[in-house]
Amino acid sequence: MKKTTRLGVVAASAALVVSGLTTVATPATAASCSGTIAIIAPLTGGVAFIGKEQQGFAQLAVADYNAKNGTSFNTKDYDTQLDAAQASTQAPNIVANKDVLGAMGPAGSQEVLAIGGLLGANNIALVSPSATRTNLTAGTFPNFYRPIPNDGLQGPGDATYMAKTLKAKEVVVIEEKTAYGTGLAKEVVATLKTLKVKVTNIAVNEKNADYAAVVTRVSKTTNFVFVTFQDAAKSEQVAQELIKQKKKAVVFGSDGSDQPTFKTPGTLVSAFAPDVTGLPVAAAVVAAYKSTYKAEVTTFGPPAYVAAQVIVEAAGRACAAGKPNDRAAVLAEIAKTNIKQTIMGNALSFTANGDVKGGRFYIFKTQADGKRKLVA
Amino acid sequence: MSYLGQQLVNGLTLGGVYALIALGYTLVYGVLQILNFAHGDVYMVGAFIGFFVMVGLGGPLKPSVPVAVMILIMFLVAMLGTGLLGIVIERFAYRPLRNSTRIAPLISALGVSILLQNAALLLFSANIRSYDTSSYISSTLGFSFADITIDGVRLFVLVLSIALMFGLARWVNGTQVGRAMRAIAYDRDAAVMMGIDVDKVIRWTFFVSAALAGAAGVMNGLLLRGVSNGMGLVPGLKGFTAAVVGGIGSIPGAMLGGLLLGVVESLAQGYLSTNFSDTITFALLIVVMLLKPNGLLGKRAIVKA
Repeated sequence: MKKTTRLGVVAASAALVVSGLTTVATPATAASCSGTIAIIAPLTGGVAFIGKEQQGFAQLAVADYNAKNGTSFNTKDYDTQLDAAQASTQAPNIVANKDVLGAMGPAGSQEVLAIGGLLGANNIALVSPSATRTNLTAGTFPNFYRPIPNDGLQGPGDATYMAKTLKAKEVVVIEEKTAYGTGLAKEVVATLKTLKVKVTNIAVNEKNADYAAVVTRVSKTTNFVFVTFQDAAKSEQVAQELIKQKKKAVVFGSDGSDQPTFKTPGTLVSAFAPDVTGLPVAAAVVAAYKSTYKAEVTTFGPPAYVAAQVIVEAAGRACAAGKPNDRAAVLAEIAKTNIKQTIMGNALSFTANGDVKGGRFYIFKTQADGKRKLVA
Repeated sequence: MSYLGQQLVNGLTLGGVYALIALGYTLVYGVLQILNFAHGDVYMVGAFIGFFVMVGLGGPLKPSVPVAVMILIMFLVAMLGTGLLGIVIERFAYRPLRNSTRIAPLISALGVSILLQNAALLLFSANIRSYDTSSYISSTLGFSFADITIDGVRLFVLVLSIALMFGLARWVNGTQVGRAMRAIAYDRDAAVMMGIDVDKVIRWTFFVSAALAGAAGVMNGLLLRGVSNGMGLVPGLKGFTAAVVGGIGSIPGAMLGGLLLGVVESLAQGYLSTNFSDTITFALLIVVMLLKPNGLLGKRAIVKA
């Protein structure tokens, strides 16, 4: 064998070895790694603005992962309209789609209650960017994870802030009769009672449109009206109606009110995510979202990016471990999630129940110019 | 007492909006004996037209014309736009079925309803748009009497809805088209033999009923702020219920039914249960229907005898 030929063989062999090593070290670069991340979100209906933002951020997360690793994961949309019944009709479609490896969503707690069992029985992980009801991680849905804190932190946190920091003596809690609203209201009412605050709980139907009659029930001595809506326009309506009826109470909205339409100066709102628009770690994603979708970033989008990132990274690891297109393997990998820094600025790993470790809520106050300022 | 008074003010304002929607149902039913279930979605389109006119005039923060002029234009364009939409709906969804079975126009109406909702979704997206009323009409505007507060927007909506109702009543009773409308409602065949242009009168009927829905849509936007593609369903159902309770086909009945529905809903929310106010409201209305099957003013209806 000629020397050059021998060198060629050696070089080719070395290349094969290096290639093989590379495959073992970072096997997610294999183009054969593919599969579908389901996006379960309210893409139409009254709160489609939430679903659209979640969809956009989730798509970006998958695209970013593919770009970095040479994989071919994709997304498929499943519209729930934030409605448990609609989610239930979508669940069998998700299960039947053999390409689905995991699901980003659903947005609402009531939808998780409706479909969590069926998807769990089929080893499909649900990683929700906004379902905060406390008992979703009580053990019923071992396939459920969320990169955001739960209402067990939000409710008591908001109530304690009203009672201790803002010295509230009398609070009205408007409980929208949804899985989210009822669970959160229960937490807030219980904490306020513990802190010796006078509480009145008013339950309202989700379909209610005019809140004038409800505001009339608020006494003039009430300090805060805590609202559990998932539509910020309703929270704004309550805030304006209080002014119209010359009542001094201030509206305190839960994370469901964390939208630009809730903007009356002096109102408070809690959020499960920080404002990422000023975070350097999120700059590229925020810029990509704005240029691709021509929309503003709220606190609903970034957790969707992280949720999709959790799934696609788990799918990549499962694929690298020789288990491509294996839902159970992806589910197992999600439990091992360990992201050093997400675009929300935090490190992310999960408790055994699927909650984020070290999660916290953020409380913002709306200023006279309509902008929000972090107060707690 | 002031609590009751405040709830009555709340209810009458809401009832005014319901009454305008109910009038649309009753006019069409009176003339054609069909239930125009797309009416709630025409109301939605009116709310959107008002919103986009507002945006076109500089938006809620910096209107390019005085606020009163902006609101006037919002109402006029919304009423004209929905009125024309009503004519189009009649021409393509109802006229071909005029001599068909009674169920056919009903199905067609449901089809138009879904079509309008989805068209709005495609054109305007699913985002909730806000009239942001407090940016150009101060929430502190209004007056108080005996601890009852009525703000500027509520007062405006109440006065305008009553004015539109009485304007409609005068139009039906005092114009040639209005008289022709009543004649067709009474006996269409005889009206044709008397030389009345039935198609023209039906076009007018749809124009006026849809224009009222458009006005109600703008009122809703000013009052409750949020506008979205699915907003017409519940008010549409309530407007229909108000029309039936008042006596469908009866113009005074629709007015009474709408106001009554608004007041009952408000009192149910204020005294019984906010969560079950619709259940309480509709249960009471079932009782009314059992006692007066033709509706409260059904005997005075302009329906065919």
